[in-house]
Amino acid sequence: MFILNSAIMNKKKYLFILFLGLFTQAQSPLPSIELKTLSGQFINTNQIAQENQLMIISLWATWCVPCKNELDAVAEVYEDWVSETDVKYFAISIDDSRTSKRIKPMVDGKGWEFEILLDENSELKRAFGVSTVPYTVIVKNGLMVYKHTGYTPGYEDELYEQILKFSQ
Amino acid sequence: MIKKTLVTCFLFLTLFSFSQDQKHTNSFFQSFKNNLRTSYESNSQWYLNDSKFGDFEEEEHLRSTNFLRLDYSISNQFSAGLQLESYAPENLLNNSKLYDKDFGLATYYLRFATKKIDITLGYFYEQFGSGLILRSWEDRALGVNTAMRGARIIYYPSNSIKITTLYGKQRKGFDVSDGDIFGVDTEIDISSTFDILPSSNLVLGLSYVGKNESYLKSDESITSDIPKLVNAFSARLDYTNQNFYTNAEFIKKSKDLRLNNIIPNIVSFSESKTFKGNAISWTAGYSQKGFGVSYNFRRLENMRWFSERAQSNANNNPTNQLSVNYLPALSKQHDYTLANIYLYQSQPGLFIENYESPLIKAGEIGQFADVFYNIKKGSLLGGKYGTKINLNMSYWASLATDFSDPTGIPYFVSDNLTYETEFLNFKNKLYSDLNLEVRKKWSKHLKSIFTFINLYYNKSVLESKADNSTVRAWIGVADGVYKFGKGKSLRLELQHLSTNDDARNWMGGTLEYFFNSKFGVYVNDSYNYEDSKIDQDTKIHFFNLGGSYTNGATRFAINYGRQRGGLLCVGGICRPVSQNTGLTLNFITTF
Repeated sequence: MFILNSAIMNKKKYLFILFLGLFTQAQSPLPSIELKTLSGQFINTNQIAQENQLMIISLWATWCVPCKNELDAVAEVYEDWVSETDVKYFAISIDDSRTSKRIKPMVDGKGWEFEILLDENSELKRAFGVSTVPYTVIVKNGLMVYKHTGYTPGYEDELYEQILKFSQ
Repeated sequence: MIKKTLVTCFLFLTLFSFSQDQKHTNSFFQSFKNNLRTSYESNSQWYLNDSKFGDFEEEEHLRSTNFLRLDYSISNQFSAGLQLESYAPENLLNNSKLYDKDFGLATYYLRFATKKIDITLGYFYEQFGSGLILRSWEDRALGVNTAMRGARIIYYPSNSIKITTLYGKQRKGFDVSDGDIFGVDTEIDISSTFDILPSSNLVLGLSYVGKNESYLKSDESITSDIPKLVNAFSARLDYTNQNFYTNAEFIKKSKDLRLNNIIPNIVSFSESKTFKGNAISWTAGYSQKGFGVSYNFRRLENMRWFSERAQSNANNNPTNQLSVNYLPALSKQHDYTLANIYLYQSQPGLFIENYESPLIKAGEIGQFADVFYNIKKGSLLGGKYGTKINLNMSYWASLATDFSDPTGIPYFVSDNLTYETEFLNFKNKLYSDLNLEVRKKWSKHLKSIFTFINLYYNKSVLESKADNSTVRAWIGVADGVYKFGKGKSLRLELQHLSTNDDARNWMGGTLEYFFNSKFGVYVNDSYNYEDSKIDQDTKIHFFNLGGSYTNGATRFAINYGRQRGGLLCVGGICRPVSQNTGLTLNFITTF
């Protein structure tokens, strides 16, 4: 137990874990986090993962310009994505009380047709270990098989290639 | 104790995975790895001397903050995690000095969760309602972490009832607060529990939060009763009926001491009188496909609340560390640099400033409205791809007050001061804005966003200048992006801020090019091109250049340039920052 008393040893141990992780592409299960629907009902991430074999989770916020660009771009092609791959897209807002009241009018105003859920105190964002949005995860059979941070114009095409790969 | 157990647990699991024979190692290691989620973030800055501003005066020029977070699923029910943080040799400029270790264990938890019950021991983050009564959260960009250390139990008696109870002390750097926080929150989905109101949804929430903290009177002869326990109660209701929704929240906070800021940096309290606080928030909205509108009203009176009273001194704690609740400004949040110069900061606290007659800041009252409209494809204004419009307005005022101070003299408020507020009076205007945003797609390749802002900013009160200075400004931004295909794109953004007040006119721009979806570079500049009294901004280029590389969930970014001093706002929370010049590196990865 001398290890516990030595900060340096701990440090080395953690760095070692980190190092090992760098060389591996883990397929972790989607963390179990409680989210809310736009009408205030609870819904767990496990529940949506059970109901949807292939889905995309995209963390966004009303104040994030690249996020809105991504969602606008996805909205334009979403119908084709669904009919070709049966994928379901969940745009999960991390807006807190400062901006959360804008979500519903914004989503309807823009006419986005994918699912919108709320992560009001960033529990899912923290569980993903993310500090910036947008952040996109493809979940297949409850496992996180692909992750991506940020959005650049045209990235939706690359995301779709990944979806095609996992839809087979 | 919990700390040791968790660390042991992690080490045990790792050691165990290496002690297996080769055949088992692979499968065990694989499953260990699959159940472990890791994220690492590093933000480093190298502060340089500047020909315009002069030399960087603090000792440490090169600073780095690092976060390593590990979450491990032990079984379907049990999970554990920890976050290690490093501030070496010290925290970034303008961030809180409470985070003072080169390397340390910052948070850890052990969680047991089933469909019925969810128990967390160690550090946890929680929010009751909209956070007006309680919110513990983390924002690394702002350097805020108000996680609580203790225990939280969430119980679901049915699918539509949730009961949360918690006890904890708030994080204070690598330590915890003196004050204890207790809380209970109940959320009931009334429409499904009682099977009423088909086609609509009604959710009721009730909360209690208490903070217990002892107080030593500076003068034993004062007979007033200073409460150790400060209580807050709240009730909230959410109603949704297809396209219509509304939500209301009320909070009452019991009596607590008033901060006495005769000498701004020295924390002292007026012990003769104690004051209550309250908050009201109301939202209503209607939306259908292609159209959405919402209205918000909020009134806050004496609602700043900390797990240590001394932290309520804003001079010593500009980043609001140890805040029990969350009181953000409700005004539109902007991405563009010039739109972030005159920003409203919420005014929820009780502060009394000493002028000839006292200036009583007891809270704020105001409103915020949004309209979203999508002009259909194929129509005259919609064009081939449609046009998206957002109109947004806000208006904020400080509460109107009457005071009585029988023993006060000019420039010195006495400890016997009492005040009354008017319930609905919007006359003491602090801020207003009108924002119009038009998003238009011109072709498969070209998209643009046009933004117009007209604002009023009461600098005198918002920045405690006491000089009656106000700012009226117009801001225009044109932002266009051209996609060449295969991830190649070029973005040009032009900005102008027009005002005859304060630092007068600014212009700015950004040019950004992505070589592919992974790699991009940018340059941007903001230039205050007119002479004004604000020397620190006049005729100086705030020039920045940088780039980013993203691969999957890994991102690396670099920036070199000059940052303007003033308010830095992220996620609705603003804090004063000093101007600086230097090199910034960010790295983040998750796996």
